[in-house]
Amino acid sequence: MFKHITKWSILLATLVLITGGVQSVFAADKPFAEKKIVLQISDPDPFKQTLVLNVANNLIKEYGTDGVEIEIVAFGPGLRLLFADNANKGRIQGLDANGVEFRGCSNTQKNMAKKLGYVPKMNPVALVEGPGVVRIVKLVTEDGYTLVKP
Amino acid sequence: MKQALRKVALAVVCVGGVAVTIPVKAANWLMLQGTEPASTAGRAKVWGFIQPEYQQTRGSEIDAGPWVGQRAVFNSMRPDLKADKGFNTIRARVGVRGVGMPIDPKVNYFFLAEFGNNGITQQGGGSVKVTDASVTLNHIPGARIRVGTFKTPGSEEGLQAIHVFDYINFTGATNGLLLERFFNGNGSGTFVSPVAGPGTAADSGDANRPNGPVSAFRDTGIQVFDTFKQGSWEHAYAIMIGNGNGIARGENDDNKETYLYWSSERVYAGSGPRRQGWKMFAWKQSGKRTLTTEGAGEYDRDRAGLGTTYKKGKHRAAFEYITADGMIFNGTDGGAIAGSTSNLPAGAAGKFTGNTDVGGDGQVTASFNMETEGEADGYYLHYGFAPNPRWEFDVRYDVYNRMTDVSAKERQFKTWTLGTQYFFNRKSRVIVNYEIRDAKAPNLPASDNANKILNGVDNRFSAQLLIIF
Repeated sequence: MFKHITKWSILLATLVLITGGVQSVFAADKPFAEKKIVLQISDPDPFKQTLVLNVANNLIKEYGTDGVEIEIVAFGPGLRLLFADNANKGRIQGLDANGVEFRGCSNTQKNMAKKLGYVPKMNPVALVEGPGVVRIVKLVTEDGYTLVKP
Repeated sequence: MKQALRKVALAVVCVGGVAVTIPVKAANWLMLQGTEPASTAGRAKVWGFIQPEYQQTRGSEIDAGPWVGQRAVFNSMRPDLKADKGFNTIRARVGVRGVGMPIDPKVNYFFLAEFGNNGITQQGGGSVKVTDASVTLNHIPGARIRVGTFKTPGSEEGLQAIHVFDYINFTGATNGLLLERFFNGNGSGTFVSPVAGPGTAADSGDANRPNGPVSAFRDTGIQVFDTFKQGSWEHAYAIMIGNGNGIARGENDDNKETYLYWSSERVYAGSGPRRQGWKMFAWKQSGKRTLTTEGAGEYDRDRAGLGTTYKKGKHRAAFEYITADGMIFNGTDGGAIAGSTSNLPAGAAGKFTGNTDVGGDGQVTASFNMETEGEADGYYLHYGFAPNPRWEFDVRYDVYNRMTDVSAKERQFKTWTLGTQYFFNRKSRVIVNYEIRDAKAPNLPASDNANKILNGVDNRFSAQLLIIF
């Protein structure tokens, strides 16, 4: 009996750990966040790259690191923001350290790979998965995020 | 000096090949002008700048020699040399730069055209010249490749972006030794008045003049370069091979120009052209020039220099020493405007200029001269103080020693430049300069015509408006 309980305890603990780990990958772990903002970058204008990072930075300044959940979704020409060699990679790293999530569009990545002849190397802090616009729709309609497109 | 430069070349190789390095974003002239920030540059960024200016001297005339009483070239307004004061739009440049295919950050381009009235556009026909047209390939770590027409790796004064230059006019050494004029002849031939005098036949020929635009510190060729970061230091190198023919020209001989450049900079803060840091640099360029008319032949042309720049907080300073061997631009005969006919009695002019008076009418035409075997050197010191973002006060002292290897031909030019800059915003400013100019032939008596002429070098007032867009 005791052996049986121990076995189930281990299984339960493992499940909790796995579930927690999965959640930390797909959503920012900020239980006290007052605001949830998704920032869209889909523009080829280089100035917009700086602008979207500035906006994220300003939101953190206003609400604090734990007071706001921010996810930057890049698709179309805007995906260049998440290229590994992007000149803003230092700023991206800094925002990532402050809890900002970066999500890239896998459809865009595939299309770019066709044009380039190779898959562009992405910033390791970015998760490239699924269509970017679908991600935005989900965040806005299901998770209570506000969409901002600087 | 040659030994020192060999060491520099060795250091360049070592920096490029051995150092544990990390490529950095645009942060020096090589990178700022030759590359685009990775994955952030647009397909085509249109940019440019306009520099209208006013310059004035007293307009003192030539005091001695065959062209006595005539307009002095050194007191005349560039580039027309027809007046001693006036307005001019010295530069008006429009360019496009970026990445042809935005998702491929490894291929960059840079294009710039000059619409202003200066030594680039006045010579060689046409009123617009392409000054820069280059492509940079960033595929090889530590060895970016730039091909086309662009600024050559060299003197800080020439290599830096002109729209962040703290003064209006270049220093004597930079203007005389590095802002290259190209000629077909050396100016020593029978370049005499084409006008028939009383009882004399018309002479053949005309003044020796530039055969096209000035170099504008540019050449057409291929450059390998990169910048590396080690802690708070940045090291940059460049090796280039070019035609040695400046801009708007193809190759006219089989000789190639080689350029070597190295810099190390302690970066304090900021980025871009006005970054704060302490930089040390050295450079060398070597090649040959081919003359096809008077003095026809091939001649070595070597230039080298080293220096330092400093910018931190409210203070900025710079020093550079430049040395030259061969193809020394030696001004015009008697300080006259090229093409001017002398006004001395028959037979008198030749003894001053060395030019042959073919027609026997006593008149010779002033020409530009090139000392193919000459030597020269020079240096400048600069200090600037910016008490606030609006104002900057500058002072510069520069010395140019021309033809140091021939005592009778040696000329020494010393200039103090006092300057003020007022910034309307980060991209608009007005610059006011006053140059206290002194020139002499140090090895000739004061009574010599050369010194009488050089005594007439006036101080110069300049004001310039600069708008970058």
